[in-house]
Amino acid sequence: MKTGIKIALSITLLSSLSFAGEQFAMSDSDRAMYTDMLENNPADLMISNGEELLEEYCGGDAGVAAFFNISEDDLPAYIAGFPRYLKEFKQVVTVSQALQGLMSKNTHKPFKLKSSDMFDMSAYVKTLANGEKSNIDVNADKYIKEAFVLGEKTYMTARGGRGLSCNSCHSADIVGAVLRTQPLPDLTSKGVAVAATWPAYRMTKSSLRTLPRRFQGCMKNALLKVIPLGSPEMVALEVYLTHEAKGTEVAIPGLKR
Amino acid sequence: MKILLLEDEYSLRISIVEFLMKKTIMISLLVSTSLFAADYSSVIEKPNASELIQKDLLPPAKVFTMPSNCVTNDKDSIARGAFIFHNLNGGKVKGKLPKGLAKKNANGKSKQYGNCVACHNIEGAVGAGNIGPDLTGYKAIFVDSGVRDNQFVYQKIADPRVENANTHMTVNLTTKLFNEQEICDMTSYIVSER
Ligand code: HEC
Ligand code: HEC
Repeated sequence: MKTGIKIALSITLLSSLSFAGEQFAMSDSDRAMYTDMLENNPADLMISNGEELLEEYCGGDAGVAAFFNISEDDLPAYIAGFPRYLKEFKQVVTVSQALQGLMSKNTHKPFKLKSSDMFDMSAYVKTLANGEKSNIDVNADKYIKEAFVLGEKTYMTARGGRGLSCNSCHSADIVGAVLRTQPLPDLTSKGVAVAATWPAYRMTKSSLRTLPRRFQGCMKNALLKVIPLGSPEMVALEVYLTHEAKGTEVAIPGLKR
Repeated sequence: MKILLLEDEYSLRISIVEFLMKKTIMISLLVSTSLFAADYSSVIEKPNASELIQKDLLPPAKVFTMPSNCVTNDKDSIARGAFIFHNLNGGKVKGKLPKGLAKKNANGKSKQYGNCVACHNIEGAVGAGNIGPDLTGYKAIFVDSGVRDNQFVYQKIADPRVENANTHMTVNLTTKLFNEQEICDMTSYIVSER
């Protein structure tokens, strides 16, 4: 992974190579390694760990389907619709929070949202939706409507030591511009698949990361106070960006710089 | 008559008792469902973030007047300005710093610098971004030509929203990330002959 850490590429970056020019050109060997990783995503290991954890603590795929009161056949499309409002939780929940509920139902102490076990297990559950179209419905009920509005607000709120918002770096007019050698990815055009590609393996972190964990990375780098996983604002940010990915195909685990 | 009445009263009582019994059964059923119905709202993590966000909010845009003697040819001031421009924070810095600049804040945390190079190219920049305009040759192109003056540069760095409400640039003095002197250092660097 050492050299993997060094190579400055991501799918975003790859696609921007054509216009970003010399600065981002990569050597043939780096390109070969990247292509190899695309086929052999290191996150596959973590995801099989997640599958085992799910078996042990949640009764596997069947246990999850039963918990949601749906058939196993309907599970992929159902998972592709998270975050969603669940009345048993009295709020809009992510897959990870739903799994905390299921663990507790099965009399296990729920994994912490930031634990690598929860990353692995929720990532596995999300892979069940692979091939499905991301189908979050932000008009399904008043709770998810509120979450979407809160998500957009959180995304637009400038704060922190440098007075930046998510939108400062990810608004449509600067997509593809370069921030310290990194092309800025497009997150909010309709049909942008970003949210459908997380959890992903991050080569610079040599680990599996979730979308909210990625948000925290940007907050930390840009000096916004890092808000905790599972907070209403964090869930709302996920709702907001997942809505942008609606209709794109779920492809997990992603592979990111 | 009397007997009939008694009988009626009797059956009435029975039905009241029955009614009450049914009602208590119904109530206890209701109670037990609400007690045992799935409620996971308290077992999941849902920490509060709104207070954190509230304290972290950006104050409104603010107009600043450049202090007198702000822009200078003083080598140390320009060196500090250059250093703040090209670096991210004290934790990432190796070696010596320009006179008058620290790696850490009074509270022991590593000091943040401007990382302006993330968005701006300028003479000698390494890995510069292009979100903001290229500041190469700034004095000749923008200042000597009369398009910009020192006050403009000072205000832009201190709080760029005054000139452009929708700016993508960082806010540096309103947020108190830097002090007046440091804004002057950066201004001096940008408008200097390089
Ligand atoms: C100072 C600039 C900046 C700010 C502010 C910022 N980001 Fe980012 N963000 C970036 C850059 C640069 C990348 C790409 C980095 C890379 O390729 O490793 C990125 C990547 C991302 C990604 C991954 C995209 C992908 O391809 O999968 C997500 C998601 C994201 N940001 C969300 C956010 C959110 C949410 C916020 C606000 C809380 C935010 N960002 C604030 C600069 C920023
Ligand atoms: C996240 C991106 C970003 C960062 C970081 C940034 N800038 Fe800017 N800067 C911009 C943009 C965009 C503009 C264009 C004007 C505007 O939108 O306010 C700009 C404009 C300027 C200008 C005015 C140029 C002109 O004459 O029109 C100066 C001077 C400047 N920046 C200096 C700095 C300094 C000094 C720093 C570091 C403390 C810095 N910038 C950090 C994005 C950035």
